[in-house]
Amino acid sequence: MSTTVPHALDISGLSAGYGRFDVIRDIALKVGTGEAVGLLGPNGAGKTTVLRSIMGLIRQRRGSIQVAGTDVVAMPPFRIARGLAALAPEGRRLFVDQTVEDNLILGGLHLRHDTARHEALLASVYELFPVLKGYRKRLSSYLSGGEQQMVAIGRMLMSDPEIMLLDEPSVALSPVAVDIVVKALIELRRRGASLLLVEQRIDVAIRVCDRLYVMTHGEIVDEMTPEAARGAGMSLIDKYLG
Amino acid sequence: MLQFLASGIAIGCVYGMIGMALAITFYVTRIINFAQGQLMMVTVMVTAELVGQGYSPWVGVAAGLAASAVVGVLSYLIAVRPILAFNRFGFGWLVSTLGFAAIVENAAAYFWGPTSIPFPTILNSTSVHFGDAAVLTGQQILAIVVALLAGVAFELVRRHTLFGKIGMATAADPEMASAFGINTKTVAMVAFAASALLAGLAGVMIGPSTFANPYLGDTFGTYGFIAMMIGGGTERPITALYGGILLGISAEGANAFVNSRASDWFPFLVLALILVVSPRGLFSSTGPLARLRPVRAGR
Ligand SMILES: Nc1ncnc2c1ncn2[C@@H]1O[C@H](COP(=O)(O)OP(=O)(O)OP(=O)(O)O)[C@@H](O)[C@H]1O
Ligand SMILES: [Mg+2]
Repeated sequence: MSTTVPHALDISGLSAGYGRFDVIRDIALKVGTGEAVGLLGPNGAGKTTVLRSIMGLIRQRRGSIQVAGTDVVAMPPFRIARGLAALAPEGRRLFVDQTVEDNLILGGLHLRHDTARHEALLASVYELFPVLKGYRKRLSSYLSGGEQQMVAIGRMLMSDPEIMLLDEPSVALSPVAVDIVVKALIELRRRGASLLLVEQRIDVAIRVCDRLYVMTHGEIVDEMTPEAARGAGMSLIDKYLG
Repeated sequence: MLQFLASGIAIGCVYGMIGMALAITFYVTRIINFAQGQLMMVTVMVTAELVGQGYSPWVGVAAGLAASAVVGVLSYLIAVRPILAFNRFGFGWLVSTLGFAAIVENAAAYFWGPTSIPFPTILNSTSVHFGDAAVLTGQQILAIVVALLAGVAFELVRRHTLFGKIGMATAADPEMASAFGINTKTVAMVAFAASALLAGLAGVMIGPSTFANPYLGDTFGTYGFIAMMIGGGTERPITALYGGILLGISAEGANAFVNSRASDWFPFLVLALILVVSPRGLFSSTGPLARLRPVRAGR
């Protein structure tokens, strides 16, 4: 083969941090097109910092970050957001003083002139999360935690990105809500999306992902299949997630 | 007898426009542009200069407003953005915007000298009588109409246009706004231009009574700030207009009932009292008059 299909996400030698210190060092990580990859690790391991670096939200970053073959290290976030990467951030961070539908519209700003595609994306979000359709005109701050997470995921989908970044979407949700989120992520994978899922819940990552990385103290320390992770079970938790 | 009410509302609308101008930039960037009064002064001086040279008042006003918009965007690029890029939560902007104000003011004083020059009236020939109780000049009526239109237009744009929603998103969470494709620098530049235009409009309304003077920005910047704080403009810009009207009425009332110099200190007393009762402003979501906000779905 003379040409290779670029990975949805291909990171190498990435270091990033705040102030004078790097909190992640020499990260190498790949997500193939249509692949769902998990990034596990304990509190403070640097998982969020990896996602924020990809999104361009951390200025202080060195190394290579390729999204579908485009190097984004020198790009400002608002350019990366226009079809390359999209984030469902830690803590959801909806635009709480705006309606559900306005949050979704704000997720796909660069496609707003491509009305047909924009409408199709909106319809696909409501198809994925039918409950949101009834809440279209409701202020997003009036939703439950699970519903807010659905909006955060929907907002991420609206830019039709090459790589979707999810930061602990299961956190602080009821078991039922976690199940809805997990099923939605599995459905996205079935539709061919490329996902990088940050999680502390191994069971969630195992259900969604094709491959898992484990991160501690700012470095990637292990890589495994979901089967291996399931087999390792508690010993993995003891070893890394404490 | 009711004259103080009528003229208070008119001058209050001018203060309110400056307050709204301050509040719009605060809304998007969370800083107070202490050069806002000077942006008003730029419109007044440029308009007066051009009309003095024989141009029509409309040309003068248009050029004056454009000049303010340009200086407003410059105030952002020079005095605000670099400071916030260095530390988004620091207070460096306090010094830098005051410094910018001093530079603009001194440049104007250098060009035009410290004395006042005449300013054209747009609508003075007519006046409106409210029975025997009060008289307002055409210019005063115009100030009220323009301020209300500006307030309504701002709210319509903020709530019902995509640009307004982008502005709200930027105001609420600039980092997430940029993570969803919004160029927050452009949004801020538009906000600074719009707020300079609003301050400039206030200048056009009041210019005929104050004349054009390079130091005009000090007083009106201060009154605009008080209007914003009384109303609750740090939360919702439109409330600065309500605050301005209250301020105008109380200042004119002080002149009418205490003595003719009372408007120099009375507004500060009002501000202090109101901030004790309601630290975030009368019309803020926690303020006593919050319920006067028009009820509407989605804020
Ligand atoms: N804004 C910041 N300024 C300074 N240090 C930070 C900042 N954000 C995170 N850190 C530090 O960087 C390290 C990694 O943080 P990060 O948020 O990436 O961890 P995480 O793996 O996402 O943790 P969690 O599972 O708790 O979300 C931590 O030690 C944290 O204290
Ligand atoms: Mg995190």
